[in-house]
Amino acid sequence: MSVKKLDKKALNSWVESLVAGQKVFGVQAKGERFAFAELTDASALRLDYDVTMLPPKKYFLPQREDLLTFKRSGGHESVIECDPFVLLGVHPYDFVAIRQMDAIFEKDNDDIHYKARRNAATIVVCDVQNASENVFAGCMNGAVVEDGYDVLITGIGKDYLLDAGTEKGEALLHGVGAPDARAEDMAERSKVWEANKAALKKHELKCAPADLPKLLGSSEEHPVWAEKAEGCFSCGSCNLVCPTCYCFDVQDEIDWNMDSGRRYRCWDGCMLTNFATVTGNHNFRPKVEDRYRHRYYRKGKYIPEKIGEISCVGCGRCITACVAKIANPVEIYNRLLEGK
Amino acid sequence: MSKPRVAIFDFACCEGCQLQIVNLEEEIIDLVTLVDVVEWREAMSEQSEEYDIAIIEGSITRPQDEERLKEIRERAKILIALGACAVTGGINKLKNNFDLEDVKKCVYGKDAAMPHLDTAMTKAVGEVVKVDFVVPGCPINRAEFAVIVRSLALGKTPVLPTYPVCVECKMRENGCRFEYDEICLGPITRAGCDAPCPSAGHWCYGCRGYVDDPNVNAAKDILEKYGKTIDDLKSKMLLFNSKQEPTL
Ligand code: SF4
Ligand code: SF4
Ligand code: SF4
Ligand code: SF4
Ligand code: SF4
Repeated sequence: MSVKKLDKKALNSWVESLVAGQKVFGVQAKGERFAFAELTDASALRLDYDVTMLPPKKYFLPQREDLLTFKRSGGHESVIECDPFVLLGVHPYDFVAIRQMDAIFEKDNDDIHYKARRNAATIVVCDVQNASENVFAGCMNGAVVEDGYDVLITGIGKDYLLDAGTEKGEALLHGVGAPDARAEDMAERSKVWEANKAALKKHELKCAPADLPKLLGSSEEHPVWAEKAEGCFSCGSCNLVCPTCYCFDVQDEIDWNMDSGRRYRCWDGCMLTNFATVTGNHNFRPKVEDRYRHRYYRKGKYIPEKIGEISCVGCGRCITACVAKIANPVEIYNRLLEGK
Repeated sequence: MSKPRVAIFDFACCEGCQLQIVNLEEEIIDLVTLVDVVEWREAMSEQSEEYDIAIIEGSITRPQDEERLKEIRERAKILIALGACAVTGGINKLKNNFDLEDVKKCVYGKDAAMPHLDTAMTKAVGEVVKVDFVVPGCPINRAEFAVIVRSLALGKTPVLPTYPVCVECKMRENGCRFEYDEICLGPITRAGCDAPCPSAGHWCYGCRGYVDDPNVNAAKDILEKYGKTIDDLKSKMLLFNSKQEPTL
């Protein structure tokens, strides 16, 4: 596969051609922050962003999506939406999270809705140019990705390297009339990677991520859970903004004719009061403390036991999103390391 | 199965929530196909003696209103409180922060003592009679109202969100008002409105009332982190959450 070197102008024409030819979702400014949104004007693309408010998971697992339509008088039909699209500017930590989601949604029952959207996507990853205030991807193996992407964009000095990692990516770069990257350009890219591994550490985890499952295994009774839970609103912001949180609720809705309707799923979060409420109105995690602890166990123990990777990629979104300022995973894990 | 008979009544309010029902527009036709509206002052002149569902809008602010409400309750199988005024007392409860005589004088001046202007402390509908379901908000969210009506017609118990506004706010990918140096009541307010206020760049006023078990203590604690005082928070809560117990 080839790596091309483009200057700013060539990059812009490439984005223009993408936008003209297909559906593209790219990072743009929203207020004083950033968000993925449909890109119709190439100049609105902001590859210099620090972090988006919501991760790109919203394109694979939308906030709300119909799963099937039904008729009470008989019959139902799956709803599968999968128009092809390009996701432009995904940071490495978010790409790591997408690959974790792939592993999760493939397990047990293959999720056809997720899969259809995932197969419809071409993902253009972009190396981080500006670190956000709370990012710690450098501690979580999330600062750089070296494979798996369709295209990887890396800014080196005034130029950009575009690396096609798959056939899909190759097709996306087809017709780009730019020179191939030389050995010294590739060396520049390695420097950017090394720099990002060090720079994306606004919080410093004092152990290897791989040590977390064992640490959590002996921390069930740690006082930090109750202590922090006192300040928790059970607002779920830390779940909703997390690129590796994938929980959803399923509901049915009936039309006015009392016959046709739809079953949809929408984002849920383990910090919300009734997340674990089941039939008979029994809530098996009724206390804020139980829910508060659960989130860290989920990221640091339960998911790793399923897929072999810590399911926190260090994007830092939860830290920023928590109004109470109690959702920093690094702070909690470091505190557990202290013992008391 | 015969269609459920529905009657709509208003007490002290601006009738904005009824207007939201009218604003269902073409869905109004679906609504009246599904249910029989037997009494609705805002839209028709008929009156009825019996109903399966009574929808009550507005707060209870006079002794004679309490009597009228109790009669409605006796005739209704299901009673629904519609909108903030009915559900929590809403804006009308601002009055309960003051001395009743002062309130009368302030509003009616020299006529304050006239018997037809008699008034009492504001009560939510649920403080006078048993309420089966609530549709919160000032005004109500008409999509939510429609879902509740359809659930009832299907024999399903409608459920309101038990999580706070932040959930819907985050789903709409808004920057948080706290980052803009504002106090937002989203973390302690029941969702279901789809967070229109923070999405329009404004803090949440808490018009839907408290979420179940709101962490009001945490709300007090975080003020310091944001350089605010308890009074700043209280002043924000006054409009829709005056004299409320911290549960709905
Ligand atoms: S737990 Fe927090 S820092 Fe880790 S991936 Fe989720 S949002 Fe990002
Ligand atoms: S964002 Fe903060 S307050 Fe909200 S549920 Fe998470 S930890 Fe609790
Ligand atoms: S809740 Fe608001 S809109 Fe509805 S009646 Fe009361 S004041 Fe009017
Ligand atoms: S703006 Fe308000 S509702 Fe939105 S997340 Fe912040 S506190 Fe919650
Ligand atoms: S955001 Fe708050 S004030 Fe606005 S409608 Fe919702 S509950 Fe009411």
